[in-house]
Amino acid sequence: MNDTDKVMLATDFCGMAFQSPIVLLSGCVGFGEEYTRVKGFSNRDVGAVCLKGTTLESRLGNKPHRIYETPMGMLNAIGLQNPGGEYVVNDILPKLDFEETRFIANLAGSTIEDYVALARIFNDSPIDAMEINISCPNVKQGGMAFGNNPEMSARVVAACRAVTDKPIITKLSPNQTDIAENAYRCIEAGTDGFAVINTLMGMAIDIENRSPIIGNNQGGLSGPAIKPIALLKVHQVYQVCREHAIPIIGQGGISTAEDAIEFLIAGASAIGIGTALFYDPLVSSKINAGIIDYLKRNDMTNVAELTGSLRLNG
Amino acid sequence: MSKAHRETIFVEQADIIEHIAYEGGQYVMRVNAPEIAQHAKAGQFAHISCDPMLAMRRPISIMRVSHQHGWVDFLYKAIGRGTKLLATRKAGEQISIMGPIGNPFKIDPDRPRALLIGGGVGMPPMVFLAETLKASSGNKPLAILGSEVPFPFTRRPSTIMVPGMPDGVIAGMPLLEDWNIPCRLASLQGYAGCFEGYVTDLARHWLKALSEEQRNEVIIYSCGPHPMLEAVAKLASEYNLPCQVSLEEFMACAVGGCAGCVVEVKTEHGPVMKRVCVDGPVFNAEQVF
Repeated sequence: MNDTDKVMLATDFCGMAFQSPIVLLSGCVGFGEEYTRVKGFSNRDVGAVCLKGTTLESRLGNKPHRIYETPMGMLNAIGLQNPGGEYVVNDILPKLDFEETRFIANLAGSTIEDYVALARIFNDSPIDAMEINISCPNVKQGGMAFGNNPEMSARVVAACRAVTDKPIITKLSPNQTDIAENAYRCIEAGTDGFAVINTLMGMAIDIENRSPIIGNNQGGLSGPAIKPIALLKVHQVYQVCREHAIPIIGQGGISTAEDAIEFLIAGASAIGIGTALFYDPLVSSKINAGIIDYLKRNDMTNVAELTGSLRLNG
Repeated sequence: MSKAHRETIFVEQADIIEHIAYEGGQYVMRVNAPEIAQHAKAGQFAHISCDPMLAMRRPISIMRVSHQHGWVDFLYKAIGRGTKLLATRKAGEQISIMGPIGNPFKIDPDRPRALLIGGGVGMPPMVFLAETLKASSGNKPLAILGSEVPFPFTRRPSTIMVPGMPDGVIAGMPLLEDWNIPCRLASLQGYAGCFEGYVTDLARHWLKALSEEQRNEVIIYSCGPHPMLEAVAKLASEYNLPCQVSLEEFMACAVGGCAGCVVEVKTEHGPVMKRVCVDGPVFNAEQVF
């Protein structure tokens, strides 16, 4: 990639300088170093790497099977296996090379107090931003996910906002009635950006023993199967975000440059890659090249020009 | 920090050189993948893109490699959607292969009597390990392979004596015999020259025939169906022998990124979930059974 190409891809996201609009998604890339095992892969090809969902205390995660391929996608129920916030900050972050890319923590809790404690821990760390994962069940409220309820989503965001000045990105769930209303409430509560969308809940059944294949019975559906849903959600959330200049990471089934460009046009400022890495670990550089090619063909000089450039049919 | 893990897995567009079908839905596929061939060790696997119509890759054990010619051999059984699609791919076509992945078997120089127990599609890592062990003259390995479908090779009467083998248990795998590694076969299907029973029962015959001194030199390596590995682990524990098993699980990334392929492992601090892809696929048997 030459310098002109680099300038075309460089973009600002919540005040962070991204060298590419690509964000590698939480849960797909471990704690930032795992994919560097693959020759040809580089964290320098992406704008940010979002680390594995982290809880206050360490978690074992779910029993196997944790993943299963479904048509054009996959189900997963990992169960937030992670070594806990303190360990991530003290033992993992010092081993990451912050010269290579931006690193974003993903915070997951069962109570508002959990989120606040985690936000404090990461606030005193070199992490570049925090993504709030509000799809976790709220234990105090009887297990309903924070993310399915705009009021509860906003309370989590506001509580984290109060303890950190680092950028807060709220990861919105598609499993709710009105994602735009939720986005609006989270903006009021002080979020700096959004990640749209998290996985859709699904199930697969082994018909021989009549049991769900996933150990947790249900799991999150990702991959190309969810792309049209994700694209519409990004479009809907963008209608709210536009007037507040709140950027969106569009994500859900992106596996090609064309997919990525669709999300940018729909209103995303950055695009998330997750499941597609499992198909092709070297996909990021291909998406970068495809975006550059598209920008050149359309006489554009920077990827930000694409954001929200959708021309709706009359 | 140490970046030793970096750039250890290669993604190669590999030409299929040969793809041979055997009875029971078994296939042996040889592909040209020089980087993987150069770096692979016994016990490691590759993550294979089976077909353009199926996005997720499938983890398949490496059976043999040629450093000189750059080829890699796989033996697999067409069972699920991925392997059934893989079986339709023909010589001359290209497939994307990632590898080599995972921790290989650890060879213990103090235990030259390696007992290799492979069942079904668990045979390939045993073949790779046998080929690795043949390179060193001090080794006295024995391979016991089991299958409930016809073996994916022509059985041949062994010319190498093995202590404790019941009468008539003479069939072996020609490839291993050619490497001067004794081999015996087990099956419940009554195939000629094979032990009629489980691989672990045949292994017990051998262990019983060894002196105590000889038994202290034994280490067990195994790969195969879960119940078989459980029986192997029990046998190892019974004779107080070190035992390494290679496991499999549904897998997404195969680089340690998704934690989708875990197995529960016992540690002194209690149970932990280890990733089969990069923490395994080889584990000490007493940790997982």
